[in-house]
Amino acid sequence: MSNSLLFNACTLVYFLAMVLYIAYVSFRTQRVGRLASWTLFAGFVIETAALGLRWYESYEMGIGRIPLTNLYESLVFFAWTVAIIYILLERKFRLRIMGAFVSPFPFIIMAYASLTSKEIRPLIPALQSNWLTYHVITCFIGYAAFAVSFGLSILYLMKVRSEQNPGRNPGGFWGFIPDSVTLDEVSYKTIAIGFPLLTIGIVTGAFWANVAWGSYWSWDPKETWSLIVWFIYAAYLHARITRGWMGKKAAVLSIVGFAATLFCYLGVNLILAGLHSYGSS
Amino acid sequence: MSVTEETGKKTKRSLTRTLWAFLSSLKLLVVLLLLLAALSIAGTIIEQGLPLQQYYRYYKPLTVEIFNRLGLFDMYHSWWFVSCLVLLAVNLIACTISRYKGILAGVKKKTLVLDEHFLRSLPFKETICYDLPPEKIRDAALGIVSRRFTGKHTETVTADGTRHLFFEKARYSRLSFFLTHLSILIIFLGGIIGSFFGYRGYVNLLEGDTLQRLQTRSGKIRALDFQVKCNAFDVEFYNTGEPKDYRSDLSVIKDGREVIRKTIRVNDPLTFEGITFFQSSYGALPEKATIEAINNDGSLRGTAIAFFGERTAVSGIPDAVEPADYQEHFVLPNGMDAGPALGVNIYPPEGRARGVWLLQNYPRYDRMRGGDYFFRVKNIVVREYTGLQVSKDPGEFLVWTGSIMLILGIMMAFFISHRQLWVSIKATAEGKSELTIAGKANRNRDTYKREIDAIIRLMKEIVR
Repeated sequence: MSNSLLFNACTLVYFLAMVLYIAYVSFRTQRVGRLASWTLFAGFVIETAALGLRWYESYEMGIGRIPLTNLYESLVFFAWTVAIIYILLERKFRLRIMGAFVSPFPFIIMAYASLTSKEIRPLIPALQSNWLTYHVITCFIGYAAFAVSFGLSILYLMKVRSEQNPGRNPGGFWGFIPDSVTLDEVSYKTIAIGFPLLTIGIVTGAFWANVAWGSYWSWDPKETWSLIVWFIYAAYLHARITRGWMGKKAAVLSIVGFAATLFCYLGVNLILAGLHSYGSS
Repeated sequence: MSVTEETGKKTKRSLTRTLWAFLSSLKLLVVLLLLLAALSIAGTIIEQGLPLQQYYRYYKPLTVEIFNRLGLFDMYHSWWFVSCLVLLAVNLIACTISRYKGILAGVKKKTLVLDEHFLRSLPFKETICYDLPPEKIRDAALGIVSRRFTGKHTETVTADGTRHLFFEKARYSRLSFFLTHLSILIIFLGGIIGSFFGYRGYVNLLEGDTLQRLQTRSGKIRALDFQVKCNAFDVEFYNTGEPKDYRSDLSVIKDGREVIRKTIRVNDPLTFEGITFFQSSYGALPEKATIEAINNDGSLRGTAIAFFGERTAVSGIPDAVEPADYQEHFVLPNGMDAGPALGVNIYPPEGRARGVWLLQNYPRYDRMRGGDYFFRVKNIVVREYTGLQVSKDPGEFLVWTGSIMLILGIMMAFFISHRQLWVSIKATAEGKSELTIAGKANRNRDTYKREIDAIIRLMKEIVR
């Protein structure tokens, strides 16, 4: 299938982008930085084409469905959303240095996806719904935003530590990283994108479940974990405006939040049983 | 009043105050959210709502006993989990009560005049001097700002002749607090109403049969005020053998008349008088079959047409037969699919009954049993049934209302802020004037600062 060829090419380009971002952090030459940004963008364009092609090929096969319905496709889409969110953030906040911490995600996700089944299979009746598209897209943009914010929160904690020991190695690597206030701000802004989308994802999921199964909430593991993620980020958002919970504690919550997100996405399907079948195939 | 009484009252009052401060605190909310997150994990690891005896298969008897006492097998309805949710609701109500005055005051308060004192409290400000009369500056400034603040502006002239222009955007975005926090309470209310006044049940309805009552999940029998008839059931498969689509043609009959007829499928249910019927599963049950007794030489000895679940005499032999089970795909010990099979109980005139499987496609299968005759089955007539999930949830409307409020509230809270802008212009000398510009936003201040900086830049370009 030609879509998998394109996906392989895209994985390779994401790998290159990651290497270039790391090279940029190490050598700090603007030319390498620009090249890294453009390479990541190229990977994103190739992946977009590959997703389109896969969609088209599913019609050729007489199945005809959006490529968002099994573990492979969801991983690929996840990598795609992480890439686009990062590209937009980099443009907006001019923080190319974050690339070294975020660009490994699209590559690792694509590499992991390549280990799962790539077959285009027809949809079972429960998944034949327009809600599939809204539910999956909103959830995954949310997940991707949390992934980016996770990278930033780790960077934030490390930066805070280096700011507390200013004598050590001035003008070195940490001097090159934006100050902790900015990191905290950008991390918050990313969660501010992710949280509404996760909320919409949960609500559309509940609505769909109600149409398909006759119950909007059944405490199945996937639902419960999405709620756990929601609780954690709701706590983060309130912690950020509470005295004594700002800064470090909020950053830790953002990291825990992404760990819960990962479990909600992969752990539930790989470890626990439930209604969301896509992870088991 | 004695001294002790006085202090007693004081402690009482300060105790209420401490309690109120605790219940309406942000910290309590953060802790509760994290606690709920941590507790919820348990229910995703321990499978919920199984019959108690099943748990003994997975856990030691003592563990089952302890888990059961703690309510861990139905933890989302256990007293401790529900208490956390109640405390969360109390916290949300307390937070709303303790903050609504301030928020409403923020919505109402409008400062129209940019005086010295007020200016000092504002975060972004700039003063520009011009060699132009104030009227000209006023018109030019109005032109620049009103392109960005499209709503109505207010103009006030103070006693000293200074003109004050006031612009603002999205004043009501301050109300997002109520949307987000009350929405959760509305969703809770919807959930409570649903669990008290709603029900859920599952029925298998044979083609041609009519549903009048059903058993709910809590075990009660509910009679419907109307009837639902399954006119036909149909299923389509992909080439791979997986189901592509299954649908039931249903009629709702009220007072003997058909009111609605609709074909329901997965993701497309039927609702009548608040009760919804969902396509959930399907299957087939045998209605009747021809059972024949065959001599070992292959000649026919006796025959019977047996209805499912009815003991029927077979001509020519003393035994009676009763079709009791059916499988569309009977799997042989070697894993082969042997096709349709009827499970039959055979009742000899004396002694115990025994069950055998008769395969429609392998008529000599029962011969392996031995004896001077064996059975075979022909013409198994099956009736397809549709599996329907039935639910009534009067709280649903509130849940969706709350959900929409929540989404709108969150979007408002993150992406819209109340932005205010003041411009004051006064004459400093003949033909000269001074303009002061200042702004304030309740959220996303850095974005707003950029917006104001752009305006200031344009203001500085006013020369003539």
